[in-house]
Amino acid sequence: MQIETIYLPASLTVMHSRELLSKAESIIKLREKPAQINLDFSDVTVMDSAGALSVHHIQHQCAAKNIDCRLHNLSTEIEHSLKLFKIGDADSFEAPHKLGFFERLGHLSYEVYISIKDAIILMANISYFTFTAFFKPKLRRRGEVINQGVQIGVNALPIIALIAFLIGFILALQSAAQLRQFGANIYVADLVAIAMFSEMGPLITAIMVAGRTSSAIAAEVATMTVSEEIDALKVMGIDAIPYVIIPKLYAITISLPILATFANVVGIIGGMVIGVTYLDLEVLPFFNEVISVIRYKEIFIYLLKSVVFAFLITFTGAFHGFRVKGGAEGVGRSTTSAVVLAIFLVIVADSIIGLLFYFEG
Amino acid sequence: MAENPVIQVNQLSSGYENEVILEDVSLEIYANEVVAILGTSGCGKTTLLKNLIGLLPPFEGSVSLFGQNLTQLDEDEYYQLMRKTGVLFQHGALLNSISIYDNVAIPLEQHTKIPPFLADQLIYLKLQMVGLQKYANFLPSQISGGMRKRAALARSIILDPHILFADEPGAGLDPVTANNLDNLLLSLKQKLSMSMVIVTHEVASIKRIADRIVYLDNGNVLFTGSLQQAMQSDIKQIHNFFESAS
Repeated sequence: MQIETIYLPASLTVMHSRELLSKAESIIKLREKPAQINLDFSDVTVMDSAGALSVHHIQHQCAAKNIDCRLHNLSTEIEHSLKLFKIGDADSFEAPHKLGFFERLGHLSYEVYISIKDAIILMANISYFTFTAFFKPKLRRRGEVINQGVQIGVNALPIIALIAFLIGFILALQSAAQLRQFGANIYVADLVAIAMFSEMGPLITAIMVAGRTSSAIAAEVATMTVSEEIDALKVMGIDAIPYVIIPKLYAITISLPILATFANVVGIIGGMVIGVTYLDLEVLPFFNEVISVIRYKEIFIYLLKSVVFAFLITFTGAFHGFRVKGGAEGVGRSTTSAVVLAIFLVIVADSIIGLLFYFEG
Repeated sequence: MAENPVIQVNQLSSGYENEVILEDVSLEIYANEVVAILGTSGCGKTTLLKNLIGLLPPFEGSVSLFGQNLTQLDEDEYYQLMRKTGVLFQHGALLNSISIYDNVAIPLEQHTKIPPFLADQLIYLKLQMVGLQKYANFLPSQISGGMRKRAALARSIILDPHILFADEPGAGLDPVTANNLDNLLLSLKQKLSMSMVIVTHEVASIKRIADRIVYLDNGNVLFTGSLQQAMQSDIKQIHNFFESAS
């Protein structure tokens, strides 16, 4: 009968279990298996739980291959540790398993379904309270509309001014060389005015506000959800949507058209700088041209866009804020998702409105 | 008592920025003993604990763990040393975004090269020891406060530490759960032959588990000795502490 003996090292701990297991495995996997494996503990002075589990594993492996595994020269302490560190009913242990393709697909579909359902319910609630909370100011947090207006509107002025100026400046710069070739210098005013009013002004403003405000709303609502403040409001008989969300919606709905108007004007000034310095235009004819080209339709479109964008920005912030899962990490995830979704929806809405009015003529 | 202390604190002064919280603190903790650091709120218990685990450098004096002075260790040596210790934070300090299983697996993944099946078994063993084997796949936010502490305990003992530090283990728990946690700590101490340093101000817990008491008052060690000696002490602050709790 072939007998193999493994002399275990002095320290049988988590740091040494790998070597022991591979040594034992190489013997168990031999083509000519030994009939018996002896594990000699005479040198072992320290054994931790990982060491004990390794020994149990070798015994199981041997049993599966019909090899007799014997333990020799065990001290009382080692024997005690082997008894102590033994796994009980392994059936009750649910080790994490990776999901298969269809499981993941199923989970994803269900998540999408729940998200759409939640989004529709939230959108309906926001729409309902937009009107009811207007006539019942008690539903809203007192002074919050002005407070939010300052945060969302006034504090955003400098960055929006800078961006709008640069956009107008670049639009004029890019078109100036071409227009000059045809002696159509004055049309740079038309180009900048139409571009700013119809597209760039409301869009750039909405993207900036989405970045600043949608994330702020999501972070605030998510933190309130995680720290049970929303539940606290509920048990006090206060609906969180009119109390927390609607003041923000009002503030954004008022601020965004004003900010967009401001962005349009500053953008046109940016274009004028190129017109005056590069195309030899004068200030007054430039502005006369701007005024002549802007119709009520352009003004209506950018105001409409601003109101739609305001709703979308508030909605995405609230949506991700209320759907937060987990703690601080969940708040971070909600914030990021809110910004991404807000910008995406703003651009989609901009395209749809643009298309609608393009065919209107 | 063993001859060489597991922890030796010599004339430690420490605090935050310019504020001195601990002054001239000296103490020794030996193998296999459970030492409770107690005192009223703001006396410097948690500051002392942070010094013992190297999270706060001392202004003066030294802290030695297993004979190694914490202030003289480089980063690698410090991390090597900390593998021999487990820390149970007041609120568990589990990572909320990952499951209990993954939380307990962190030290194994970072510090060892054991095969995955053995890691699974080890995690199961430790979760079984704290009675959470059925909650391996739950997120920390899906289990109760007491269970979170037990999960954090499983994480802190995954590498069979020689010493376990616990900051207010019973804080925020109901008396029954706190009692169970204390019993669990005691049973783990016996199974894993650990020393334990427990920061607490809960007298019931101290009575259950402490072999020795270190009483802090205004950043100074006012008393060290057994619970019996502490309860018979005629030091006013200690007398008041135990009197108000009974």
